[in-house]
Amino acid sequence: MTLAFILLGALAIVGGIITIAARNAVHASLGLVGTLLCVAGLFATLNASFLAATQVIVYAGAVMVLFLFVIMLLNANQPVTGHDPVPFVRELAGIGGTLLAAAFVVLAFTYKDPRPLAESAAALRGGDAMIMGETLLTRFLLPFEAVSILLLVAIVGSVALVQRPEAQPDGVPDELDTPVGTVPGDRGQDEQPRFGPRVGGQPALQAARDGEVSA
Amino acid sequence: MVSTSSYLALSGILFALGMIGVLTRRTAIMVFLSVELMLNAANLALVAFARSWGDPTGQTAVFIVMTLAAAEVAIGLAIIVAIFRKRETTNVDDLAALKG
Repeated sequence: MTLAFILLGALAIVGGIITIAARNAVHASLGLVGTLLCVAGLFATLNASFLAATQVIVYAGAVMVLFLFVIMLLNANQPVTGHDPVPFVRELAGIGGTLLAAAFVVLAFTYKDPRPLAESAAALRGGDAMIMGETLLTRFLLPFEAVSILLLVAIVGSVALVQRPEAQPDGVPDELDTPVGTVPGDRGQDEQPRFGPRVGGQPALQAARDGEVSA
Repeated sequence: MVSTSSYLALSGILFALGMIGVLTRRTAIMVFLSVELMLNAANLALVAFARSWGDPTGQTAVFIVMTLAAAEVAIGLAIIVAIFRKRETTNVDDLAALKG
């Protein structure tokens, strides 16, 4: 048990250092995946088996896939270079972080367990899905339902956020840019609307697009 | 059985690492990754306290924090994508002004 803690803890810290220090964003997110997997292992050593499984599936799986997807979509894997607006920000953050970590470590070793550790660990029954479900659906029923609404709002909100605007920022619909007299259906492949439907088009073009859809 | 203090110390170190990342990284996505690191450090402390007290409340809180983090990532990354389309950058220094 002690060996597992030392190994997983050291790997988690190494992963965290990779996360904050890697120049390439893809390397940083892979470092975070390593940290998350190590934290999942630490959950397992803390009698929280259900949380360990959830951590691997939700965090190391779904959330990190989303991160990698966005990094590659935005082509943001290269580091930002240029003028640093805050002087000595790295040094200050390093000193501050070291002091904070030292304070946390000192504080942590002043903590005393309220009752013998073996006794309280046995009360958790391994932290399986049953004991979690009992707590969630009795004492934490309201937060549980609130979280479900939150997830729905997050889904709808993210869909709404990444939607293309219906018209260009200047308020002029795209179709008005088409030269007058263009034969409907004669438009080249590159002239078709790239992202979703637009409103305010000329009736002939609208009919032509409907024809394209049915064709 | 490893003492609760050791887990809390590890959690504090991970939290401080995440804080350094939030302060020094300049891409919005990297700031997000560091925030995830801090959330996980807090989760580790909660699970350690849950074992210390023999009460599954801490583990339930971690479950809810995980859900919140997933929602936060979904919304935050959508905002980053929307900003990137408008400004062609995710550098937080360039995005400091709220002017549209």
